Amino acid sequence: MTSFFDLPFEEPTAAEASVGEPADPVDSPTAVPPEPQPRRILTVSELTARIRTLLEEQFFEVWVEGELSNCKVWTSGHMYFTLKDRGAQIKGVMFGSALRLLKFKPQDGLRVVARGRVSVYGPKGEYQIACEHLEPEGLGARQLAFEQLKERLAAAGLFDPQRKRPLPALPRKIGIVTSLDGAAVRDIIKVLGRRYANAHVVIRPTRVQGDGAAMDIMRAVRAIGRVRDVDVVIIGRGGGSIEDLWAFNEEVVARAIAGCPVPTISAVGHETDVTIADFVADLRAPTPSAAAEMVVSRKDDFCARIDRLSQQLSNTMSARLHRLEARLRMLEARSGYAGAHGRIAMRSRHAAELSHELHQAVHAQLARRERAYHALRLKLETFDLRRRLGTIRTRLVTADGQLGAAFTRSHHRHDARLRTAVARLESLSPLAVLGRGYAVCWNAERTQVIREASTVNPGDRVRVTLNRGELDCDVRGGSASADTSPPPEPAPR
Amino acid sequence: MDPTIKDFEAALTELDTIVKKLEDGDIPLEQSLQLFERGVQLSRFCHARLEEAEKRIEILNERGQLQDASSLLNESANIQSSKGKS
Repeated sequence: MTSFFDLPFEEPTAAEASVGEPADPVDSPTAVPPEPQPRRILTVSELTARIRTLLEEQFFEVWVEGELSNCKVWTSGHMYFTLKDRGAQIKGVMFGSALRLLKFKPQDGLRVVARGRVSVYGPKGEYQIACEHLEPEGLGARQLAFEQLKERLAAAGLFDPQRKRPLPALPRKIGIVTSLDGAAVRDIIKVLGRRYANAHVVIRPTRVQGDGAAMDIMRAVRAIGRVRDVDVVIIGRGGGSIEDLWAFNEEVVARAIAGCPVPTISAVGHETDVTIADFVADLRAPTPSAAAEMVVSRKDDFCARIDRLSQQLSNTMSARLHRLEARLRMLEARSGYAGAHGRIAMRSRHAAELSHELHQAVHAQLARRERAYHALRLKLETFDLRRRLGTIRTRLVTADGQLGAAFTRSHHRHDARLRTAVARLESLSPLAVLGRGYAVCWNAERTQVIREASTVNPGDRVRVTLNRGELDCDVRGGSASADTSPPPEPAPR
Repeated sequence: MDPTIKDFEAALTELDTIVKKLEDGDIPLEQSLQLFERGVQLSRFCHARLEEAEKRIEILNERGQLQDASSLLNESANIQSSKGKS
């Protein structure tokens, strides 16, 4: 807080520096304290009085920009606040009379430009800026006022979708709130006249711009809402500048529209102009002409719909009558009265039989059900036992499976060994030589291998084993010498 | 006016329902004839209501009185036609 007071004393300090040159006349009489007198002791009040003179004369009217904080409106109607930037802050006050003229509501965090004078409050040793005017920096005051009102009304629920009422299917009288001098009224009447010659229009003229326009519009909306048979109201005006349209951004207008007992259509300016009235009204039309078309096109729709329904009504009915007629003719052609009578008697007998059958069927069905029930009960009684049995069976099957698997594994092992052994054996077998073209000669009984020609006589029978198959041979002759035989093969390995 | 018909919107809704019922087609002949008659009555009512409003322009003044202002319509017609000429 003490740093608060550093700033204003800078200038007196500078003045003191010039005290060293007493001959030098002072440039700025207000900025310099009275002639320095050695050991002149001031009271706090005197010092404060001098500071007050200094500050209030120097900063009689200043513009200062900063951020608002600690805004608070007291019951007196004055607002107290702090204006600050990154390096410093200054306390401020704005009196009720000035505050009321603002178009926006000052609030914390807002960057503003303030116009005012610096004043000193002795009892507390504080200085502050007494603010005469405040405007939001950057954002225009109007824009801000718009946003704030919009926010406030939205919070009050005035824009809620469930508040929106549908337009009357067929308006008895169409109310219009606008200026008689503007283009809007003529546009609306033109559209209504062109599309529906029998439209009944009630116009409540009002000023739509300038001082007092908002109040005027408010009164007009209230008045027209009370006219008998007016069941929809168009509120609007033609295009213009934002300032021209401003009345439709005033709270009194918004409240009046919200309070209108019949559905409202806002039609202010052009498509791109958006006003608070648009948010509050039950329907927003981009232009006054469009508003008229909204009212009227519904009437078009209804005409078409009623025509269509009437058409459907008579089509359906006549189709049905045609069908009935055709059926009647067919019946007449097919059956005489007596025949029909006989058939009816037969049918009734048949019905009695059917009924009997049905009865029996139901009985049979019941009996079946009963048997099924008994069976079920029996099952239920043995259920526990069965379940235990089941468990045991499961365990048995599991064990069996494991055993089988073990057996299979060992079997496979043995099988593999066997196959290896056979393979080795086969490689050693003399019979393997047969594959290379050798043959083995046996006696007829196949009990002895014949190694010498002399052991057989012509006429004997021998068997010859080849690589594949055997031959049954008769011996025709032979010689004991081995000359004709091929050179002996090297012994198989 | 028919006391069994509340207003235009109610009539239209009822007419809608009747047409749907008849188109569904499983109602006895006697009843469907009754519905048909009612439907005709409703559609006549709706047509009448559509044509009933009269072409009129009134101005509601500050004192809450209604004044005829059909001249406004003519004026706008004139404006339109003069625009058309130019």
